[in-house]
Amino acid sequence: MLENYKKSKIEKRGLGERIIAHAYLWLLLVVLYAPILLIIIFSFTKSKVFGNWEGFTLGLYQNLFTGYDVATNVQVDPNLYRAIFFTVIIALIAAVISTILGTLAAIGIYYMHPRGRKALTFLNSIPMINPDILTGISLFLLFVFLGISRGFGTVVAAHVVFCTPYVVLSVLPRLSKMDPNIYEAALDLGATPFQALRKVMMPELWPGMISGFILSLTLSIDDFGVTFFTKGSNGLETLSTFIYADARKGGLTPELRPLFSLIFLTILILLIIMNIRTHKQQNKTT
Amino acid sequence: MKKFILAVAALVLPVFLVSNMHAADREHTLKIYNWADYIDMTNVLNKFPEWYKEQTGEEVNVLYQTFDINESMLTEIEVGHEDYDVICPSEYIIERMLRQGLLQPINKDFGTTPDYTKLVSPFAVEKFQQMAPDSSICVADYTVGYMWGTTGMLYNTSLVKAEDIRSLSGLLSPNFQGKIFMKNAFRDIYSVVVLYVYREEIARGEVTRDELVANVTDERINRVEEYLNQLKNNIAGWEVDFGKEEMTKGKAWMNLSWSGDAQWAIDEAANVGVSLDYLVPEEGSNVWFDGWCIPKYAINTKAASYFINYMCMPENAILNMEEIGYVSVIASPEILEWANDSSITQTANLTYFFGEGADSVHANQVFYPDQRVIERCALMHDCGVMTEDMLAMWSRVKGDNLSPALIVFILVVMALIIFVVILQSINRNRQRNMQRKRRKNRK
Amino acid sequence: MKSSKLRMVLQSRSTWAWPYALFLVCLVLLPLILIGVYAFTDPEGHFTIQNFVSFFTKSEAINTFIYSIAIALITTIICLLLGYPAAYIMALAEFKTPQVMAMLFILPMWINFLLRTIATVELFHMFGLPLGEGALLFGMVYDFLPFMIYPIYNTLQKMDMNLIEAAHDLGANRMQVFTKVTLPLSLSGIYSGIVMVFMPTVSTFAIAELLTHNKVTLFGSLIQRSFGEGGIGMWNYGAALSLIMLIIIGLTSFFGGDKEDINR
Repeated sequence: MLENYKKSKIEKRGLGERIIAHAYLWLLLVVLYAPILLIIIFSFTKSKVFGNWEGFTLGLYQNLFTGYDVATNVQVDPNLYRAIFFTVIIALIAAVISTILGTLAAIGIYYMHPRGRKALTFLNSIPMINPDILTGISLFLLFVFLGISRGFGTVVAAHVVFCTPYVVLSVLPRLSKMDPNIYEAALDLGATPFQALRKVMMPELWPGMISGFILSLTLSIDDFGVTFFTKGSNGLETLSTFIYADARKGGLTPELRPLFSLIFLTILILLIIMNIRTHKQQNKTT
Repeated sequence: MKKFILAVAALVLPVFLVSNMHAADREHTLKIYNWADYIDMTNVLNKFPEWYKEQTGEEVNVLYQTFDINESMLTEIEVGHEDYDVICPSEYIIERMLRQGLLQPINKDFGTTPDYTKLVSPFAVEKFQQMAPDSSICVADYTVGYMWGTTGMLYNTSLVKAEDIRSLSGLLSPNFQGKIFMKNAFRDIYSVVVLYVYREEIARGEVTRDELVANVTDERINRVEEYLNQLKNNIAGWEVDFGKEEMTKGKAWMNLSWSGDAQWAIDEAANVGVSLDYLVPEEGSNVWFDGWCIPKYAINTKAASYFINYMCMPENAILNMEEIGYVSVIASPEILEWANDSSITQTANLTYFFGEGADSVHANQVFYPDQRVIERCALMHDCGVMTEDMLAMWSRVKGDNLSPALIVFILVVMALIIFVVILQSINRNRQRNMQRKRRKNRK
Repeated sequence: MKSSKLRMVLQSRSTWAWPYALFLVCLVLLPLILIGVYAFTDPEGHFTIQNFVSFFTKSEAINTFIYSIAIALITTIICLLLGYPAAYIMALAEFKTPQVMAMLFILPMWINFLLRTIATVELFHMFGLPLGEGALLFGMVYDFLPFMIYPIYNTLQKMDMNLIEAAHDLGANRMQVFTKVTLPLSLSGIYSGIVMVFMPTVSTFAIAELLTHNKVTLFGSLIQRSFGEGGIGMWNYGAALSLIMLIIIGLTSFFGGDKEDINR
């Protein structure tokens, strides 16, 4: 169906229109990526201040990987590496939990009676409205009040708090487009609720779940306020908390520039590979 | 399903491994909470366990964490009862913690190890004692200084002449429109500006600098606000960390900075051919300290005390100073020798810091200001109950952005939204009425 | 007997939201109640409404609040104007992997916020553009555009093309097809996008601090100041500010709830 529609649309739309449309998208992307390009460029110079160019060198990359600045034999802050580790782990776990919790919640909210739905929707939007420092402090107060010591578990819980609303909002639109009867149909055909969910609803909701998952990952990686107040005193650091403390004195650790350049390039390459693979698959089927 | 469980297990397993590493016993761990980039990790911090073992025969595992806002660190301890063993707050936070009984005395019974804390300059000790909540408390029992400095103007020598800005009145010059960075810290700004606006009263001997900075009143806040409002046009921004970077790039001409940051900026700027210098305003400024202390809920107080002692060793003080670019409170002969740099022509009278024999030291005066500069510097204090009024003034000065155009804009948008909502209710009512009619017709 | 009752409960999809409801009550509502306690007490613990009175009598507080709402509205509108076409093109154009394109918009968010904002500042320097409100809006749109594009893109993707074909066949021109068919169907996505952009934008402040060199203060900064530099004595005031913001913006979510009903 989509193919037919696209073909007819293409016939109706001239080449000029397509060029403008694509150009708009690419222009948007160029502006979006300009700062990142700067980061990549300045990862190749050893200045302490971002923006000063002090000669081309791969020194920062070298430092990042060896953990030592070869020229001065000063250690690259080891907390940086621990921060990277925890950032990734926390983001993955929180994103998985948020996606599952949020998808189930979205389904439940959608089929609730209006009053329950309104209440739950309102509660759901609270973590989105709150500045993260408020979410962080309110959770801090909660944990202190309940005597829960702050550390890894509390950080993951806190991340789930602010990620799940976005999952819910990503899945809800897909729900409203879904045929409401397929679930009942599956049950009538003898499926358990769980099977019906997996085999019938999830494929429809899958794109929304993926968007929610990726959003959760992104939010978790970049969060500072919430993580700061829920990480406790046992040495837990994420990239964000590390960088914020780091920025106070002497500017940002220069090794951060190659770090993020590499993260960015890795994901970009992954995306390109995915793109090529789907191209090949589609070529095979047509 | 199986793949899912495997994936989850793969995620969770390393976490358990790592968190178990921390379960290693608390009694032999030393939790340090310090500013970022504020210690020589390789040569000082990492050598501590070795030194501790030599001195006491015991093992210790150092857990080093960093913070960037004093108040957040205080909150974690005051409200969250976190068990950091040794912390490095700014002087006004030490004052508050002493007042609230949140600090433990340092155990200076070091056995065979010499007590290096005695090497702290009497100048620092005397300033710290000013923070005692009442005269019965000897502040030196609770805290040992770490680094200190002054607050002053960092300026670009090719764009600004020192004579022009020696007085804060020079900052108001219309030539400097949008060229001045001010510190985004209300205490520091207050303590510098108040000394300017009351300069005549100080000159007449009606009030001392210490009194002005230590006691915040509404009148003083108002006069500081007046000056800041006059300065507004010249202010390019309020910064805490990006100011020194902007200075090295020549974006701003002046920046109210802390001395350590200023020296860092001077050095970095020299790398790219920009010439910066630092001066302390002639009406006065503040002198600041931070210090090591042991919070109330600390567990490993023995290692904490030894750590504080360790940080006072002259060789460590020198290593730290060279690494982070700030000035230590330690005043032993080794430090005096280190400070004396024959390549510097001007000499400074540093007897207030080092004692006898230090009356003409070839020192970097950004780090070690001459006695005459110190005489016009006052120590910053906690504002206590006046914090709310201070913050209100601060928000007024920084937050005056609303324009009538924006208000009109909001009203228009709100009107549109209400209009749309009403339209929809009308539509829905119409639909319901039509449905009712249809049902009636069917019947 | 028991298993069939359990089955009935599980089958009824509305109960699937209960785990999340419980989670929200414990980790969102309960902490908020604690904040509420702070908002209605003074530092000694006595009940008072002084914190709220302070807000309404302080010119800078109301000033900043209204200003933040204005900025949030402008940001949301810009995101909508820029984001809808982008989502539309991605969903309906001939991209073989629109999911990848969508990912490209989210990718910048993976770079740490502080680092990329510093890079944005540098970018502005390089082009000789002044920092200020313009830079602020740029930064806001930059950070929140993906949140607008994603939901709209998702709804557009799922759109039933038969309706479009039918409209075309019935003789509607492209403009009419868009306004009468595409736009109404994508409304739920637009709504999600507006919500996901407007609400956090009202409380964002870090961007303003960096992209205007702190010359522009947003409401979130006031809250941050009360909880941060103000020390514990100012937490009561900060809590009151947070509640005020929460209530006034929460009302938008309440209004919007109606739209979902219409679509069904």
